[in-house]
Amino acid sequence: MSIEAGLQAFIDEARELLQQMEAILLDAETAQADAEVMNALFRTVHTIKGSAGLFALDAVVAFTHEVENVLDQVRGGTLALSDTLASVLLRCHDHLEAMIAALGRGGQMPDEAAGAALLSELHAHAALSPSQAARTAPAQTAPATADPEQHDWLLYLGLSGDLLHHGIDPAALLRYLASQIRIVQVLPLPQNWHGTGGFDPEHNYLHFALHLQGNTSREQLLDVFEFAREGSCILACPVAEASPYLQAIAAETPPDMLAAASTAWQQLGWSPQVQAAPRQEEPEASGTPVAAENGPATVKKSKPAEKSGESHFLRVEAEKLDTLINLIGELVIAGAAGNLLAKQAGSSSLLEWSQGISNLIEQIRTGALSMRMVQVGEIFNRFPRVVRDVAKELGKQIELKISGADAELDKSMVEKLGDPLMHIVRNAIDHGIEPAEVRLARGKPAQGTVQLNAYHESGSIVIEVSDDGGGLNRHRILQKAVDRGLISADAQLAEQEIYALIFEPGFSTAEQITNISGRGVGMDVVRRSIEQLRGMITIESELEVGTVFRIRLPLTLAIIDGFMVKVAESVFVVPLEAVVECVELPPEMHPDDSSNCLNLRNELLPLLRLATFFDLKPSTSDKRNVVVLQIGDRKVGLVVDVLLGEFQTVIKPLGDLFRSLKAIGGSTILGNGQVALILDVNELVQYVVMRESARYGLEKDRDPQLAALPGK
Amino acid sequence: MSALTLQRQNDQSTAHAQAEHAAEVAQYLSFQLGGETFAMGILNIREILEYEYLTEVPLMPDFIRGVMNLRGAVVPVIDLALRFNRPRTELGRRSCVVIVEVDDPETETQQLIGILVDAVHEVLAISEQEIEAPPQFGSKLRTDFIAGMARVDNRFIVLLNVPKVLSVEEITLLASLREHPEGGGPGELPVVGDAAQ
Repeated sequence: MSIEAGLQAFIDEARELLQQMEAILLDAETAQADAEVMNALFRTVHTIKGSAGLFALDAVVAFTHEVENVLDQVRGGTLALSDTLASVLLRCHDHLEAMIAALGRGGQMPDEAAGAALLSELHAHAALSPSQAARTAPAQTAPATADPEQHDWLLYLGLSGDLLHHGIDPAALLRYLASQIRIVQVLPLPQNWHGTGGFDPEHNYLHFALHLQGNTSREQLLDVFEFAREGSCILACPVAEASPYLQAIAAETPPDMLAAASTAWQQLGWSPQVQAAPRQEEPEASGTPVAAENGPATVKKSKPAEKSGESHFLRVEAEKLDTLINLIGELVIAGAAGNLLAKQAGSSSLLEWSQGISNLIEQIRTGALSMRMVQVGEIFNRFPRVVRDVAKELGKQIELKISGADAELDKSMVEKLGDPLMHIVRNAIDHGIEPAEVRLARGKPAQGTVQLNAYHESGSIVIEVSDDGGGLNRHRILQKAVDRGLISADAQLAEQEIYALIFEPGFSTAEQITNISGRGVGMDVVRRSIEQLRGMITIESELEVGTVFRIRLPLTLAIIDGFMVKVAESVFVVPLEAVVECVELPPEMHPDDSSNCLNLRNELLPLLRLATFFDLKPSTSDKRNVVVLQIGDRKVGLVVDVLLGEFQTVIKPLGDLFRSLKAIGGSTILGNGQVALILDVNELVQYVVMRESARYGLEKDRDPQLAALPGK
Repeated sequence: MSALTLQRQNDQSTAHAQAEHAAEVAQYLSFQLGGETFAMGILNIREILEYEYLTEVPLMPDFIRGVMNLRGAVVPVIDLALRFNRPRTELGRRSCVVIVEVDDPETETQQLIGILVDAVHEVLAISEQEIEAPPQFGSKLRTDFIAGMARVDNRFIVLLNVPKVLSVEEITLLASLREHPEGGGPGELPVVGDAAQ
């Protein structure tokens, strides 16, 4: 592994650990955390420090060291994790995150002064000066975990011969150990060198046996030698438990180490009661000469708690998965082609075979797509922090409730959903939730509630952000819209249309512009991002009761359920979710110049004639159909020739050349290898509206030169 | 017949190149478009396919004939004759689609674009000395489309400047002008005139 790759691994690991740290700190603020959680908190920082040390990232090590000291006190119970301390720790977390991010970019490290300021604040909370922190912390920890039975400890350091090569000095380790605990006796044990020439000064020839006195745990002792573990065998146990301990680890420890430890410990005054056990193991295990390398197993075994939260996941590069899914898309198409051929050949055995293949392909595709699925919780998880920070900044009390975090959607969508959700949540806290006095006056609890919820509904995922705040003030929105000239003063708008106004660029009804929101940027970006994900956003609101933002998204961007239609010679795919029903076009309305509105059960349905609109060759068919589409809260009829039916389809992007072509959302390849275009019905209707208004506008007041533009 | 003549020239220039400056000889694919022969550097050419079914894309400039399925990728196909403001290419027995890789400077990616030609002739090795700078006028083609004029058998063949001819940027601009007829202000009109000249 090259240094760069190693560093990248470190950065990834550190990010994960920082996430854990943040989650623990946020949890700890609300609930009284137990010792195990505090240990985990300590370990996150400790591990970052350890790994940073490997890469000689001194700034990170120095900073984490101080944080670690404080956390150690917290873990030892000498320092309570108060709200204020958690706040400072969270800011330390941010500082660390900034440092790690800077490493990732290869950019400038964040301001050292800021780090130093944070540390001094931290020390103020811990009531310790920086120099004292390191020394006093463990001493204070001691009484908390007092256990007279475990006062005397035996330690055997079967250090690897390569230790010095790795830049680790055993003397330094021992010095550090001495700062943690009282060392009664150290027994150096020379290994493999018999005083006759060939001395390699960079080789470690020493093992140590130690007798320690103090209150500690095996974990703490092993932590001291964290970096020396590779290739080494480190044994530690209370004197009282030495015999059972040696027996317990006999299976996974090299026998010569066991024997050496046992002998050395006896020299330190330990008298084995059950001496036989390790010896019994010896003859059997002596067949394994690779002694030192087996060492770490013992050590790992003794720290089972550390990895317990880790589930069995594989990290796969996103690109590899994308390639696989693309290939499966090809397979789907190829399979469909095979199916078609089998049908044409009319051989029933061939057809059966191709059906079997199709079934398998379907399963593979579902499986592959599910690999891309991640839980919405991945984005929800960052909100406790956001809500907490924003609420503190605004001096509001907010409770965040999260439900449905296990609903799944496509990874690529999760990434793009973070920012819009962030905007909505910040808005909800800033504008939605009223100040405590107002809330109390309205008979609501002083603490506001913001809720994030996700659930699946008929092939799409719905994400709701709701608050129990003041709700949207329709009059104020209307007033503002009239002021800004978005609508005329006498316009009659439906409820949804009024709410939709807040998504207009630059629209804000907030009386005050704050840091958080109110500048009127944001909501238009929110709507645009959601629409880019082929989603819809709706608002439900009741004055003084609350507001719900409801985002409806397709589960994946890669595949849609389509409805195929044929116009003249071209096949188009309409997203099935937009299709409401299909009706036949009455023959008297066939000519393209006849009325463009249909009476659908006494409802006026504007017709969009695809053939005319797209300038396609006139159709020869004598039957026309209307596909009724639901677009927002309106209906539009699409006039086509033939209905070809439902079809699940893999979306292929059309490429940059067509980026100006909004009405076509993409393309797909049919079973016969031909390309069919997928209509983006929202954009299509918007475009038609725009073109119509432009045409009538042009005739009246544009100059003839412009009117003569191509495409008119 | 013309293929034969070109072949002879081809051999000559190869021999010539081996004798002197091997590095200055580049290879070009010559093809037929209307009554004319053009050539383009082979380095950008991915493959040459027989003409197959194209799906027309509505609301796009005429010279975009449609999109085709290239082993699962959807590739746009451009009618070079229409791009050069000449009569539309009619499909014949020898009609071919030449798949070219084009850089899109805006997104810094490579795009595959197919060009529809009447027939593909052969690969020519042309040395630098045989290439003249594009004439300032009189070539019946936008001068920035021409990379140079190659002297082959006492005739001149136009070497196309592929990045210009298939400029994703320009084609997108043309397409957006078509889609938003009211969007083009007077300031943008000269561009249209230029492109469609």
